[in-house]
Amino acid sequence: MNTKEIERFEKIATQLDGFYEEIGNLTKKSPNDGVNKFKLKLINKLLLESNSILGERYRPFDDFVVFEEDDLPSNSDVTSILSQYINCLEKLRSDNIQNEYTTWYWKIDGKVSSIRTAAPKKIGKR
Amino acid sequence: MALIRPRLTDYHGLLLAQSDIDFAIPFLDEDLPFCVDPFLLWKSPSMQDNALHASLLNSFNYLGYLFTKGKEDVAVSNLIRASECDEVGLGFSSTRKGKRIGEGSANNILSLFKKIPTLTENGFSHFETIQLYVDNVSKDRISDITCSYLKSFLIDYTMEQSQKYGIPLVDISIENVYDTRQNKFIDQEKVKLPINPETHAPILLVPKRWLRKSPWISTDNYVKDYYLEHVLKNGGISPDRGELLNFNRCNYGVVEEYIRIKERTQQDCLNDPLFRAIPILSAKKKFELIKALPTGKDQNADKKYEDYVCQLMASLLYPQLDFAQEQCRTDTGVIIRDIVFYNNKSVDFTGELFSEYGTKQIVLELKNVASISRDHINQLNRYLNDEFGRFGVLVTRKPLPRAMFKNTVDLWSGQRRCIIALTDDDLEVMVQLFESKQRLPIDVLKKKYIEFKRACPG
Repeated sequence: MNTKEIERFEKIATQLDGFYEEIGNLTKKSPNDGVNKFKLKLINKLLLESNSILGERYRPFDDFVVFEEDDLPSNSDVTSILSQYINCLEKLRSDNIQNEYTTWYWKIDGKVSSIRTAAPKKIGKR
Repeated sequence: MALIRPRLTDYHGLLLAQSDIDFAIPFLDEDLPFCVDPFLLWKSPSMQDNALHASLLNSFNYLGYLFTKGKEDVAVSNLIRASECDEVGLGFSSTRKGKRIGEGSANNILSLFKKIPTLTENGFSHFETIQLYVDNVSKDRISDITCSYLKSFLIDYTMEQSQKYGIPLVDISIENVYDTRQNKFIDQEKVKLPINPETHAPILLVPKRWLRKSPWISTDNYVKDYYLEHVLKNGGISPDRGELLNFNRCNYGVVEEYIRIKERTQQDCLNDPLFRAIPILSAKKKFELIKALPTGKDQNADKKYEDYVCQLMASLLYPQLDFAQEQCRTDTGVIIRDIVFYNNKSVDFTGELFSEYGTKQIVLELKNVASISRDHINQLNRYLNDEFGRFGVLVTRKPLPRAMFKNTVDLWSGQRRCIIALTDDDLEVMVQLFESKQRLPIDVLKKKYIEFKRACPG
């Protein structure tokens, strides 16, 4: 990843988190309710961006690209897909960061950069 | 097979939604159960409506002038001519043909101008008050008199609206158009108007903003809201109609005060919507009732199911689809109930139904059965015809069994007929969307259609 890609990644990941939280709250209230067209359009835009960042390797499902408006996706449908995307983005991030003296940094072209980031959400033995 | 409850626009293939247009779309073979309330013209913010009301009053009070000046015959004959206006198709009759009042009734009405001194001097300020003095003057009579005196305006309005929406106009003679300069009815006038294709009678369109189920000033309202409260203060016995009318005739001041109150509360006087959707809470309750019903015919469950679904669907699909009628038919000895909607082409999906399946009216067949069988599909398939087009909906309790779903796909493959099923789950989503307003309930129908199309070959 390069600096521009990291910036793009962080922007998209934050936006997805925002929608996940918002639609997640609606899901708790009424899981079967439809998501309105305005929100769906914006979510689809983010999903398209995410697909391009994740590429074939990290995309959650090879046969899912964006939501079809006509399929009337419900709050719970959208929440579960967003959660999949957030996890896959996290996986991509985890594979592109490195720990240096308790601080985590992005790697650029395989080398540790000075761009700081948070620790991976699931730290495991690698 | 003719259209079910045909409307003027649907007959001409103009698929317009009632909510999108300014006039009430008339039925071709029955009256719209509304009346023109002259009070709505009086209270309207539109100067045009106010002027029309003033003209209406002048014309009506002129009858009083004639009557008190010894020209009783002319006044009576004019009032009789004004008492019916079939062209507008409003009222509460099952046909579009009404009856004029007789000479006796006309004399009773006009004699008010002699009996009540204030009326002799000033005339009426709201002519619908005649209901409070004379028997046998119903709300549709008030509406008809109003329309007769405003016929000239309604002709212009009809021509303008017809040209706007492409309703075909025909050269035709119309009877009894009131000429305000000569203060008399013209026997016949040649105009261009839409006609009833069956009877070839002219049709006049009426603005929706003038319509109410019952007039703002009416006898029922007078008794309920004023007479019992202000006149019979001590809870006396409500008088019979004759006594009440006598009382009113002898107590002009009481009626006058009632009119003043009605004028003061004019803000509450609104035109009635042509269709009133059920409230959200009521929709949710209806769905709960549907969900609790068993399948089959036990304890009249099928009848109840059909009633609830009908009430629910008419509201859920409004205003994208205008409800036409709920009807019963018999197919090979089985009574089938369905609901029919006008296809307004108001959303892309219904536009596609018209272009692909020739659907002028959408039929929803109601089946409270545990499982849809081949017979049920065949019954609906046989019913789909030129007017309904080749698209139909089965409203049932559970998803179609795999073999039956394949059967519907085969029907599409062989005959390009589309039958989709709406289940309890779909109704639940529709009710949810009706409440949350995040999407339109009709989107559920579209979703089912798209799912069906995806399952079709090619």
